[in-house]
Amino acid sequence: MSLLESLRLALSVLWSNRLRSFLTILGILVAVSSVVAVVAVIEGLDRYVSNQILSTGSHVFQISKFGFSTDHDTYLRMLRRKDLTLDDAVALERTMQHARAVVPVVSRGATLERGKEEARGADVVGLGDGYPELRTLDVVAGRHLTRSDVQGRRFVAVIGEQVREKLFEPLDPIGREMKVGRHRFRVVGLLKERGSVLGQSQDNVVLVPVTTYRKMYGRRDPININVRAAGADVLDEAQEEATLLLKLRRGLNPWDEPDFSVSTSEMFFELYKNFTRGIYGLTLGIVAVSLLIGGIVVMNIMFVSVTERTREIGIRRALGARQRDIVIQFLSESVALAVLGGLFGVLLGGGAAVLLERVTPLPAAVRPWSVAVGLLLASSVGLFFGIYPATRASKLVPVEALRHEN
Amino acid sequence: MAAPLPLISLRGITRIYQAGREQVRALDDVDLTIQRNEYLAVMGPSGSGKSTLMNIIGCLDTPTAGSYLLNGTAVEGLDDDALARIRNREIGFVFQTFNLLPRADALHNVELPLVYAGLSIRERRERAREALAQVGLAPETKRRPNELSGGQRQRVAIARALVTSPSLILADEPTGNLDSKTGEEILAVFETIHRAGNSIILVTHDENIARRAHRIVRLLDGRVSSDVVRETAR
Ligand SMILES: Nc1ncnc2c1ncn2[C@@H]1O[C@H](COP(=O)(O)OP(=O)(O)OP(=O)(O)O)[C@@H](O)[C@H]1O
Ligand SMILES: [Mg+2]
Repeated sequence: MSLLESLRLALSVLWSNRLRSFLTILGILVAVSSVVAVVAVIEGLDRYVSNQILSTGSHVFQISKFGFSTDHDTYLRMLRRKDLTLDDAVALERTMQHARAVVPVVSRGATLERGKEEARGADVVGLGDGYPELRTLDVVAGRHLTRSDVQGRRFVAVIGEQVREKLFEPLDPIGREMKVGRHRFRVVGLLKERGSVLGQSQDNVVLVPVTTYRKMYGRRDPININVRAAGADVLDEAQEEATLLLKLRRGLNPWDEPDFSVSTSEMFFELYKNFTRGIYGLTLGIVAVSLLIGGIVVMNIMFVSVTERTREIGIRRALGARQRDIVIQFLSESVALAVLGGLFGVLLGGGAAVLLERVTPLPAAVRPWSVAVGLLLASSVGLFFGIYPATRASKLVPVEALRHEN
Repeated sequence: MAAPLPLISLRGITRIYQAGREQVRALDDVDLTIQRNEYLAVMGPSGSGKSTLMNIIGCLDTPTAGSYLLNGTAVEGLDDDALARIRNREIGFVFQTFNLLPRADALHNVELPLVYAGLSIRERRERAREALAQVGLAPETKRRPNELSGGQRQRVAIARALVTSPSLILADEPTGNLDSKTGEEILAVFETIHRAGNSIILVTHDENIARRAHRIVRLLDGRVSSDVVRETAR
């Protein structure tokens, strides 16, 4: 009997036992769908994280009042720390040997307006004039904010693409006026489009001099300081230098623990990688266990199927089926069962990934290799756990099988 | 002049079943020679070993002792694949309980031996249709066994036995589950296919049925108690 025919026969048998077949494939379904869904989500995240978060600049580190806090108490303690100041940034810039740029950064959300047009939930970012050196923000029209903008506390702004679209389309925004909250600004530059990270647009943004920001909003928003080291080789020195200088400015001894955090995006990336490694480990566990359970269930169901069809096996043997034909018949059935489980798993896992992408800001991308791995796993399970029942079926003595009552 | 090579030659065939501690001699030193195109009836009381004999001749079971030549080939030494091949090419079985596959329609049931013979679908269809026509069936090809009458089922089974053009048709009480009128029709079918050149061994309890065969072998307690070739035959 040809393989194709065995497969057709197997499918018709499985179809005639729909409910049982479905219950049988649940384990495999769970395994394959978790492979597909988890890989989709993690790979999606990976792409964004490596593209976007790492592009916050190489050999850049950030000094902030807050560090990574894992519990509420730590967070409250961090909250009581002294704020970083603009003067801290100025002092670092003056004294640091290993820094190419020192940039104070502060931000909040605000509504932008121009006449009747409005852009809600825009990020207003106050920056020191060294920010172009961080290499993360480019202008495509007009100019960057300058030192004299910062020193003169001018009401000038560089806007993101989405702001241009909402407020100025179809006009050229450069040189035109807009309002940030109730303050009037003149647009001097337009940022290159950056896309979105985790569903947050990076282009609904307006950059203003940090001094102007302070004039508008006071001192409540905490300042972070971004430092770009003079080179990759001096990144560590630059961090130590900045840490020491800030400790002294904040009245600490050099040997004291700093009451601020210094972190690089690489550190964040490390943390992220550990996190994904954990998720993958967990998935591997779930997959292994559900495949094992799925396989055992398949094996048991195949034994039931062999017993139920002992008579049929006897008839086939009497008509000339070789042992091999019987093995192939039952193996096709267990493999078809498992692969069906795999296919449903791919649908479910892919569906879950797509749904997740729709309703949450998590990006997801179904990977062809994960589908291939899932289906390969499923068919191997079907093959492996099907061999024993199929062999047993083929070893039945024809006369005895024929005498079986059913 | 050499005697023609017999179709079947059994020498000292013994079959012992192990039933718990007890040993049952279902067949005890049976010698039997059957020629091509014989129509032979096997009779005997229940438990005398008729089915056991049929199963051994049909290569579904192997004797405990004795030698069996089929078409001059010793069956004892053959492996499972070779036995499967013999069952497929040389033997056609007809069972008392029909033994059709319930899920398959009549045509597919008749095709089944050809599937294991490795024929293409087209060839299978054609030969299965011919076999169905030979037993007086045709329009029922799309029906499943449970949609057929007992007589029709047995016709399908006979078509299935015929479809590979085997050397020998073995029928173990083929009319046992049928009423006498339907049984009569089935016997007519056997007579037709016998006239067409087939060799047939038929097990029956019914003297009237046995009398229509050309040779009657009687078993008693696993032994051949009589072997009569009827005058009127041949
Ligand atoms: N699998 C078996 N295990 C043990 N004993 C068996 C087995 N098959 C048959 N026998 C015994 O062997 C003897 C012959 O059985 P067989 O089935 O050949 O008889 P039979 O002539 O076909 O009878 P019936 O007319 O009732 O069909 C009986 O005594 C039976 O009980
Ligand atoms: Mg019997």
